[in-house]
Amino acid sequence: MSSVRLQNVSRLYHHVRALDDVTLEIASKSLTVLCGPPAAGKSVLLRLLVGLEQPDKGRIFINDRDITDVPAAQRRIGYVPQSFALFPHVSVFDNIAYPLALQKVGRAEIERRVDQVADILRIRPLLVKRPQQLSGGEKQRTAIARGMLKNADLFLLDDPLVGLDFKLRESLMEDLKDMRAELGATFLYVTSDSLEALTMAEDIIVLDAGRLVDANSAAALYDRPRHLRAAELVGFPRCNVLPGVVEAGGLCRTGIVNFRLAEPTSFVGDVAVAARPEHIWHRPDGAPATIRLMENIGAECVVYFQAGEETLVTSVSSPSVAHLDIGSPFPFAVSAEGLLVYDRATGDLLGRGQGQANA
Amino acid sequence: MTAQPVTFWAAGRDKPMPDIRLTQVSRVFGAFKAVDDITTVFPEGTVTCLLGPSGCGKTTLMRMIAGLETPTHGSIKFGERDVTELPPGKRDVAMVFQYPVMYRTLNVIENIELPLRRDRSLSAAEIRRRADEVLDVLQLTGERRRRIGDLDIGTRQRVAVGRAIARQCDVILFDEPTTNVEVHAKLALIRAFKEFRARLRQTVIYVTHDQTEAMTLADQIALMQSGRISQCAPPHVMYDRPESRFGGWFLGNPGMNFLTPRTRDGRLLQFDALPCAIAVPADADGELSLGIRPEHIDVLHEPAADTVPARITRSSITIGGQHLLSLAVGEARLKAKTAPGEPPKDGSTVFIRCPLEHTVLFNDGLRLHETVARAG
Repeated sequence: MSSVRLQNVSRLYHHVRALDDVTLEIASKSLTVLCGPPAAGKSVLLRLLVGLEQPDKGRIFINDRDITDVPAAQRRIGYVPQSFALFPHVSVFDNIAYPLALQKVGRAEIERRVDQVADILRIRPLLVKRPQQLSGGEKQRTAIARGMLKNADLFLLDDPLVGLDFKLRESLMEDLKDMRAELGATFLYVTSDSLEALTMAEDIIVLDAGRLVDANSAAALYDRPRHLRAAELVGFPRCNVLPGVVEAGGLCRTGIVNFRLAEPTSFVGDVAVAARPEHIWHRPDGAPATIRLMENIGAECVVYFQAGEETLVTSVSSPSVAHLDIGSPFPFAVSAEGLLVYDRATGDLLGRGQGQANA
Repeated sequence: MTAQPVTFWAAGRDKPMPDIRLTQVSRVFGAFKAVDDITTVFPEGTVTCLLGPSGCGKTTLMRMIAGLETPTHGSIKFGERDVTELPPGKRDVAMVFQYPVMYRTLNVIENIELPLRRDRSLSAAEIRRRADEVLDVLQLTGERRRRIGDLDIGTRQRVAVGRAIARQCDVILFDEPTTNVEVHAKLALIRAFKEFRARLRQTVIYVTHDQTEAMTLADQIALMQSGRISQCAPPHVMYDRPESRFGGWFLGNPGMNFLTPRTRDGRLLQFDALPCAIAVPADADGELSLGIRPEHIDVLHEPAADTVPARITRSSITIGGQHLLSLAVGEARLKAKTAPGEPPKDGSTVFIRCPLEHTVLFNDGLRLHETVARAG
């Protein structure tokens, strides 16, 4: 069963297509991450689901029921907005309890449910405080708690961890995944952070300029993104994109590597070749390059290096490059099997490379 | 790096850079100790990153070094010079803030030259020479005539760095300068910082909550927690040999795993994730836990020497296509990283090995300075 289904949904803002004929399904009880650059249409999609806006075209189904014309108040959806939207003059408890108070739920029941969600988010000691006494992370958890309180089976989270401390995000990501499992609910989770997207997602939907460019399980989408934008937007460090040309017979040439396409294609013309960092290796007998910058993440080091005209990025284990610095030689090799070739005009996937690439 | 030292530096400065000496420095706000009795030395000519979560006291400490905040107790010296009571303008410090503070209607070169003009001892030619060299170091030569108001925030922040270094102050302070900068500009800023460090050796204090930035830029990281410095060490030492559980947890993506003993029998400790017992060191009298980083756990598909079976409860793709596994071994919960490739199946069983040479034993949260040894 699908929890959410959009059928040919479009939304226009002053003749700009914020969402352009989007058809998608979100599996029931999944944790689906919605990715895309700013203005891709992510927040618009959430607002349509919540009922804060109406589509100009298309139908929206929740649990297989057409809710396109159902008012927001009657949709059983939990919503955690990006801005916390807390009421400053009432306690954290009352902020969290607000949606239930609106529904005229009894006091005992409200207390039980607020306590339950406060325990999950570890904010029980904060319930008596006012929002202005909270840190940014505590405000965020309060906003999440309020969104989670409704007896809903679909929750929409709009970049709920943006701007928080790295370590707080790490633990809240775990909490949110546990919470989803405990509630047995569907989460649709928006983030603009590609590592957060991969960490959270079971399924991923990628929007770009109002259009759906790919949707798949996280593993499948990472392995074989069907659109160049999906390759670029999902993955950390960001994948390398090289301009290239496919010649008749399926030979692909770029400034860095030449290789053959694994699948037969009749395509001839300009392409974009996506190379994930893990398909580029530091190898003593590889092609010459020079390090431009190294970022130490801890276990891994992200290495930006200059090879001819291109700046490429790879990630390697930190101890393996501890002796290197900016300006050091960084000979490298590329695995052709890892390369993905896209039609440069449309962004559509043409196929994968094969064999040894000669750099 | 092999870059040449900047000439004005070599010619214009003969006095050595000072170190920064803190003696029993505290700052109390009401009942809250923002900085709690810190005594330490940040060495001359090096970059010290003050790293820690929100509210750990790192910004308050930096503001006291800047002179924007007066310590409730204690003293601050730059070398032999006691600056505790001096206002910021008399300390010979330059600062780069989260939001670049600049004259929006002036262009890049004017912004860099302006503070130099206040120094009457500098000739116009010397001012111009310094400004040009700074623009070169920070790769801003192409933007020299552009108005600040027309630049993106990342480039503006690079100009702010340039203005700070051109003054040749003893000490430069950075307060989370990349916070509001988008990712590409952030990389340019980090590169500019590395570039200027390769050529100029001012004493730098850099405040950040971003561990990657600290690991990338610091000569030493001062890791702060609840107003105190929990450890001050070079990045790789901090990462490999954390003095506390807090340090092991805070650095790393994700942080260190901590195992609590299943049983303690006299001088023997048993852990769910280890097939052998660990000898309890003589000085261990508190609550013991064993730390291991996710990348140091070997994950195998078949049983082998020193492995124990573990169940994959969750997995996701992480940095560079690796798999981040959540594992259950008895009562223990661990995270491990495996190489890119076929995704592991949730619920399946794997065999894990925790090499003892990569483990750290903590006693009441503090590292025991003995190597972890197999019992018997």
